[in-house]
Amino acid sequence: MRGRPNLYVSYEDEQAILPTWTKRVLMVVFGLAAVLIPLGAVLQFGERTVQPLGFLAGGDWLRILGTVAITAIAALGLNILTGLCGQVSLGHAFFMGIGAYTAAVLGSPVGAAGVFGSRWGAGLPMWVWLPAAGIVAAMVGALVAPTAVRVRGLYLAFVTLGLVFIGEWMFRTFVAVTGGSQSGRSFPPLNLRLWGIEREGQPATGPGLDLVGDGPSWAPINWLDWLLGPWINLPDTMSSEAKHYVVLGAIAVVFVLFAKNLQRTRIGRSFMAIRDRDIAAEVMGVADAGAKTRAFAISSFYAGVSGALLGAFVTRLIPESFGLDLSVQFVAIILIGGAGTVTGALLGTVFVVVLPRLVQDFSLWLTETVNAGGFLAPVADLVVSTGPGDFGLVSTSQGVTPGLNVAQLNFVLYGVLIIIFLIFEPLGLYGIWIRIRNYWKAWPFTY
Amino acid sequence: MKRLRLRWIALLAVFLVVAACGGDDDDTATTAAAADTTEAPADTTAAPTDTTMAATSTSGAPTGEILTDVGVDLEAGTITVGLLSDLTGPFGPLVTAIVTGQEVYWENVNATGGVNGLTVNLEVRDTSYDVPTHVSLYEELKTQVVAFGHSTGSPHTVAINPQLQADGILAVPLTWYSGWSDPAINSNLVSHGTPYCLESMNLIEYAMDQAVAAGTAAPTIAIVSLPGDYGLDSAIGAAIAAETLGLEVVYDGTGAVVPGQDLTPIANEIVAADPDIVFITTTPTAFTEIYGPAIQQGFEAIWTGASPTYNPAFLASPLADALQRDFIGSAYVAPWGSGTPGTDELEALIASLRPDAMPLDYYAEGFVEAKILHEALLAAHEAGDMTQAGVLAAAKSLDEVDFNGLAPNESYTGEPNERLQREIVIFRPDAALLAAGGTGANVVEPAYTSETAANYEFTGACFVLE
Repeated sequence: MRGRPNLYVSYEDEQAILPTWTKRVLMVVFGLAAVLIPLGAVLQFGERTVQPLGFLAGGDWLRILGTVAITAIAALGLNILTGLCGQVSLGHAFFMGIGAYTAAVLGSPVGAAGVFGSRWGAGLPMWVWLPAAGIVAAMVGALVAPTAVRVRGLYLAFVTLGLVFIGEWMFRTFVAVTGGSQSGRSFPPLNLRLWGIEREGQPATGPGLDLVGDGPSWAPINWLDWLLGPWINLPDTMSSEAKHYVVLGAIAVVFVLFAKNLQRTRIGRSFMAIRDRDIAAEVMGVADAGAKTRAFAISSFYAGVSGALLGAFVTRLIPESFGLDLSVQFVAIILIGGAGTVTGALLGTVFVVVLPRLVQDFSLWLTETVNAGGFLAPVADLVVSTGPGDFGLVSTSQGVTPGLNVAQLNFVLYGVLIIIFLIFEPLGLYGIWIRIRNYWKAWPFTY
Repeated sequence: MKRLRLRWIALLAVFLVVAACGGDDDDTATTAAAADTTEAPADTTAAPTDTTMAATSTSGAPTGEILTDVGVDLEAGTITVGLLSDLTGPFGPLVTAIVTGQEVYWENVNATGGVNGLTVNLEVRDTSYDVPTHVSLYEELKTQVVAFGHSTGSPHTVAINPQLQADGILAVPLTWYSGWSDPAINSNLVSHGTPYCLESMNLIEYAMDQAVAAGTAAPTIAIVSLPGDYGLDSAIGAAIAAETLGLEVVYDGTGAVVPGQDLTPIANEIVAADPDIVFITTTPTAFTEIYGPAIQQGFEAIWTGASPTYNPAFLASPLADALQRDFIGSAYVAPWGSGTPGTDELEALIASLRPDAMPLDYYAEGFVEAKILHEALLAAHEAGDMTQAGVLAAAKSLDEVDFNGLAPNESYTGEPNERLQREIVIFRPDAALLAAGGTGANVVEPAYTSETAANYEFTGACFVLE
């Protein structure tokens, strides 16, 4: 009986996170790759060494991966609200802002004038400010929910759109907390400290772990290196970016597991019941208002934590960062990735965060190809516009030239992709993945 | 299920151990790194983190041998310089022209022998004036470039500043924030031009002299600005000047201008307060949204404000007549057609290398930034240390950078209060000059320093970015 696809002998088996051995093996391989490659693992074949996908271990790519982890948390949050519970929200950036500024107030070093100086800061360690950022955002989410549960669909989108504008106004006005429009404030760094109040201009007190600055590899990384034997070697030092990646990745994994498990609980099923048909759900005994409030609170918790991490990662944000653009980015992630699935939200995040870099590298490569000459140059020249009078889709020269520059091209791609996915593949990247998987599942008997 | 859950708990435990175990490793880290680098002083291809140490320990290296790490390739004969530019954000059109200025400057340098034979290549990245993007792009470029030819935006530059310091890399900030002259912040930055704060002092004293000459005994002033480092730094300087000069502030709109909102109420309040001088620091668009409604009500006063408030394109708009009557403009660099050796050279280079480009004053800004870095690269070459840290040290040792009349000379040594730039160019808008193929700036004071600005004791940023 074992090993037959789609045959489950118990309810538990069917609900397992990784129901088949293929998935389990793939997950282990993926997990190892996600740890080893960005840390700069080197494969040793006798004298020869190979560093697969070595570019991912560079500081710039580690930063992109860190951004992926942070963005994924917020995207998972919106996925719970929009994908699972069916409540369209454009207010995600507002909740991220609430979380970010909660973290800033609790975690920033105490200034010379005390906690409530020109910029508020209580100097508390990260294990206080990070959960607090989520909890405060969840509380605000629960406060907003009574208004939101009364409306549906497009109207809800407008209510939450209002939130973004109210939020931006609040963030611009509350200078002691946010630093004010266009100047912003600094955020507490991602330092894991057990206790001790941080004060401005004084070295951090209390035992802990600094993520800022390069240093030797952490003990568990060295153990992993030892466990993997002589064939796979990890470097002895870790850059600041690598440390951030490990910690942010670990936090993201916790949130992924929570989101995945939420789907399998009574609460998660009540969300899906409301999404599919709210009246039918109520008839079956699901408390509509209660479930929606819960969805808002959980989603806001995710957004709050993500906002706090973003602030700590970037070190300085201006109130304008939490505007409509950010909210739209998350809606794009959900739509491109595939609404309602954790995998979809993750795929969408990777796609949306990495896309600008790929577009940039691609256009730089095209320009190089044009400049280098050779047989590819005329082909590249059709796409790239290098100066006035040279028509092409992408422009890499800074003067007034025809063609879109990289940032504009990204925006256009977003829009086009959302339309394409909505029309041709409502399940998003996840849907494409499912189709590829199903094709190979029964290969070579696919028809 | 149970087994699975146990496995996840085990995984979590590993991560917690990660957090707990690395605690006391950090002290050993720094000592170990320091020990490593003293052993390899002559290693020119060492990792960038190592060479900060290596470079200082070999300052007496044999002549003819040049230390390099990132961004300088002696074999290929190239130097790579990074630009963190806002090409598509709110300052896109302006910064695009500045980048063109840099490109033209370096194209000319490369065509005339380069930096001691080395060709300079620019790596331009578009930050869209977004802080997270700015930080990411810094991270991308720091392993490719020897220094940053400019970094657009004050909060953005403050955000990368700790990393610039940790990595020992030089950057030229592309903002005129007064904090850049503060030694507590500027260890890795070389700024140029008069900060917004002192620019305000100059403009207000000049405007007051004009008002008094026109017969107003005790002029009154209205102060209007954007929020943020730019608007507030400028408005704080204006308030200092108003107090020093005894001007009565009849309307204080410091930080009141929120772009995108209806600005007519601000115009109405200015008109109601009836000042003799309006000091306004905003974006060009916001300026027209306040200035237009105010003059429509028949309001007449002297209008002036920080340089980026004004756009030469105004002179081709219906506002032209009123502006020529009311506006006093400021510039950090000599405007197009000033006739200084520097501007003449710039105009000739733009004409030959970018024949289609329209005349803009922003090219000069690109030239000034590039010139600073050029001098730093030459000094670094002479010192035999073209590492990132070497170029930083060379820039910080520049006694005088002469822009040939394109901008007032800058110095990066000595007391902050002494080397602080206080001089601006004052011009009146002139549509006839624009029509004649210039940028419409009729220079009335090519090198103006007010008494207020000259006597101002600089102790730190006017507006502190916390």
